[in-house]
Amino acid sequence: MRPVPASRPRLSPTGRLARVVGALTLATATACGGGDQTVVATGENGGTLIVAVPAEPSTLFPPQIIGTQGGAVVSAIFDKLADIGPALETNGDAGFQRRLATSWSWAADSLSIAFVLDSAARWHDGAPVRAADVAYTFRVYTDDSVGASNRSLLGNIDSVTVRDDRTVEYWFKRRMPQQFYDATYNMYILPSHLLDSIPMAQLGRSAFARNPVGTGRFRFARWEPGQRIEVVADTTNARGRAKLDRVVWSITPDLGAATIKLFAGEADFLETIGLENVAQVAQSPSLRMVLNPALNYNFVAFNQRDPADNSKPHPVFGDSLVRRALTMAVDRRALVKNVLDSLGRVSFGPAPRALMPDTAAFTQLPYDVARAKALLDSAGWRDSNNDGVRDKNGRELAFEIFVPISSMTRQRFAVLLQEQYRAVGVKASPVLLEINALQERIPEKRFDSYLGGIAASPGLVGVRQSWMTDGESNEVKYNSRAFDAFADSALSSFDAAQSRRLWARAFQQAVNDAPVLWLFEPQTPVVLHKRFIVPSLRADGWYSDLADWRVDPTQRIDRDRIGLVPAGGAR
Amino acid sequence: MVATCAAATFAFFCLQLAPGDPATALGEGVPPSVLESRRAVYGYDAPVVVQYARWVSAVVRGDLGWSISQQRPAAAVVLDALPNSLMLVLPGVLLAVLVGSALGAWQGIHARSMGDRISNTFVFVLYALPEFWIALCLLLLFSVIWPVFPSGGLVRDTYIYMNRADQLVDRLWHLALPCLVIAVFDAAALARYQRESMRDTLEQPFVRTARAAGLPWTRVYTQAWRASLLPVLTVLGILVPLNIMGVVFVEQVFSWPGMGLTLFNAITARDYDVVAACVIVGGVVIAIAGIVVDVLREVADPRLRMRDASTAVRSSTRPAA
Repeated sequence: MRPVPASRPRLSPTGRLARVVGALTLATATACGGGDQTVVATGENGGTLIVAVPAEPSTLFPPQIIGTQGGAVVSAIFDKLADIGPALETNGDAGFQRRLATSWSWAADSLSIAFVLDSAARWHDGAPVRAADVAYTFRVYTDDSVGASNRSLLGNIDSVTVRDDRTVEYWFKRRMPQQFYDATYNMYILPSHLLDSIPMAQLGRSAFARNPVGTGRFRFARWEPGQRIEVVADTTNARGRAKLDRVVWSITPDLGAATIKLFAGEADFLETIGLENVAQVAQSPSLRMVLNPALNYNFVAFNQRDPADNSKPHPVFGDSLVRRALTMAVDRRALVKNVLDSLGRVSFGPAPRALMPDTAAFTQLPYDVARAKALLDSAGWRDSNNDGVRDKNGRELAFEIFVPISSMTRQRFAVLLQEQYRAVGVKASPVLLEINALQERIPEKRFDSYLGGIAASPGLVGVRQSWMTDGESNEVKYNSRAFDAFADSALSSFDAAQSRRLWARAFQQAVNDAPVLWLFEPQTPVVLHKRFIVPSLRADGWYSDLADWRVDPTQRIDRDRIGLVPAGGAR
Repeated sequence: MVATCAAATFAFFCLQLAPGDPATALGEGVPPSVLESRRAVYGYDAPVVVQYARWVSAVVRGDLGWSISQQRPAAAVVLDALPNSLMLVLPGVLLAVLVGSALGAWQGIHARSMGDRISNTFVFVLYALPEFWIALCLLLLFSVIWPVFPSGGLVRDTYIYMNRADQLVDRLWHLALPCLVIAVFDAAALARYQRESMRDTLEQPFVRTARAAGLPWTRVYTQAWRASLLPVLTVLGILVPLNIMGVVFVEQVFSWPGMGLTLFNAITARDYDVVAACVIVGGVVIAIAGIVVDVLREVADPRLRMRDASTAVRSSTRPAA
């Protein structure tokens, strides 16, 4: 396989012949329309971005979005009241950028925030954006029958009321540093004039979910099932049109085929590139890699409850000494280097390193095989029958590591972990499971351990959900009052320095308790055609500033010159 | 109809027995409360029998259910995919019939010759190769090393902005490689059946009689080929529905949103209604393919028509008891 320029491939004589023969033979048979170009790309604006994606979203209804495929499209079409800044600061409103709201004011007791909406803001159907839309949006996101994916993150918002046509007020249950973030980050504003006649339970099934109307700098153009979703620049947007004419998410289920599509110049952007293709991209004259500081971290989850009886502690992982030993027995740096080379780094704790206020303020358990063996000895796990596997009270120190069959990266980690554990007398058996089978076992705690990962949200609010004792996504049943106290205090503190200190103590506690083996953070770059000029990619989503992406006018290719069809003309 | 409904019921319960449900298929990191609310919203928290009863009552009303993974009616999902599959499979199979039948007939006529042995080995190798491997090789050759054809998709992503002539060429251009994969694989299968059938037919008494009567060789072979088509047509009747429902890997490699890929994705996403809808449509396709093959068999072999006609005459002239 050799990389080729990403411009439209030059046809060989055979290809030209095929095109000519095809055209002559069947020129009269087609019934398809098209070609209605009216505005040709000029100056800074213009261009077509084709994003190869492995799967299509199930819906474009914002409350029900799960995953980056739908998230990227929805982020282009819809707006929030305000958006988080590039530093992803979640305390207070510092760094937040105006979107639908032009200004906001805090109540004296900080228990409410009043947002003033942009009077020029319009839905893509021309209707003005009103405060009632915001209140309606909150009702939708918190309604039981909608099943909003972010609902649990809105728990501190008591209500949303309309003060006047352009002013909406958020009321909070408790004064918290993340109030502003809670109010703005987790909800895209929905058009009540189009949706409020539809029963809440039917919203996800409504035509709107596949043909959305938003306020973003891109507007929805078309969704061809199984093939592509297209958005086009909204030329009348109050915040200015998107610089690109259009973005097409081209559905390419096979990663190999998607990579070929990229090299062949049929796609411009690929979010995930295989390690084996990195060198080729580096040599490509038309492609470049851009750092994508994603907020993912991966771990080996140690179930602290007995899979057979969740009321009892796990016979192996119930003991924190054993968990510490299992952490110290693994050379995580070498593992990450071996599997990911430079495209990953060691994970430090219950959050991605990018979100940790100060990674130098707490220490990691060292890689120390001798100490790991000593810890296991002191926990009573010894090799009494000299078969190479430690045992205690007739039970071998053996466990299964469940690995999703879809992840080659995790499979490689599992094999290497097996070898490292063998060196300290632990029998770890990787078991490949189809993702549904794994996802069925995890909530029921029917596992010893599994290789899992978390895509974190900005801030550290997700720590509560994932790692605190009563967190609903605390899959390993990690239970540490000290960690809970430190994390809760850190999340509640308005003093940045104090919060940083508390987080350091919380992370140190989590490292010492070793509820999981903190393993790796992927640092996979995205691959992009060189003609695109893009701002720094935000860690919570590469697509966050998509409306500001543009094409270098001197490097435009055919599809960048298509131009922009007028509103509705592309349908 | 009964067989199709039974197959759809079987598929429905088989998928229910598999681990997970549409909520677990949402992937990792989804909070349990979201999973529970999704189950409640779509009724997957009800017992399997209740879900089945709901599904049957909907099907009786002509409603094939709702795709949870695509958030639209299951019928719409299948009806989008079926034309794509037909567009891919029918030209592929037609090409395979032309090439496979001609090659097999030639091999049958020249059985045990050096040419037959060489071509037979070649056909056997092609037949043994997995379709996805052929697909990847063709993709690598003709999309990357020698970029003549596009790497996948039904059409280019900027298709709607092309003029009509370009759109037509673009469609054909995208059809070429996946169609070729199907044609290569099916041609190999058909050639093997055609060869054996042709060999057997050439040893039939009517062929010897024709030769003895001094008929030209071309005419003898034409008649023998026609008579040898019956087993090939039977295989064709299996191949067409098999291709429509089962070329998953070809569709995946070429990003072709056909029935196979739709069914595969629906199984992965535990999208029960789409799986059942695919099985129903697959049953109908098999039935139609069976009818078409029966007609083609009668066209190919007049004896079948004569046998039917004579049976009809005999039954109508049977004296009353």
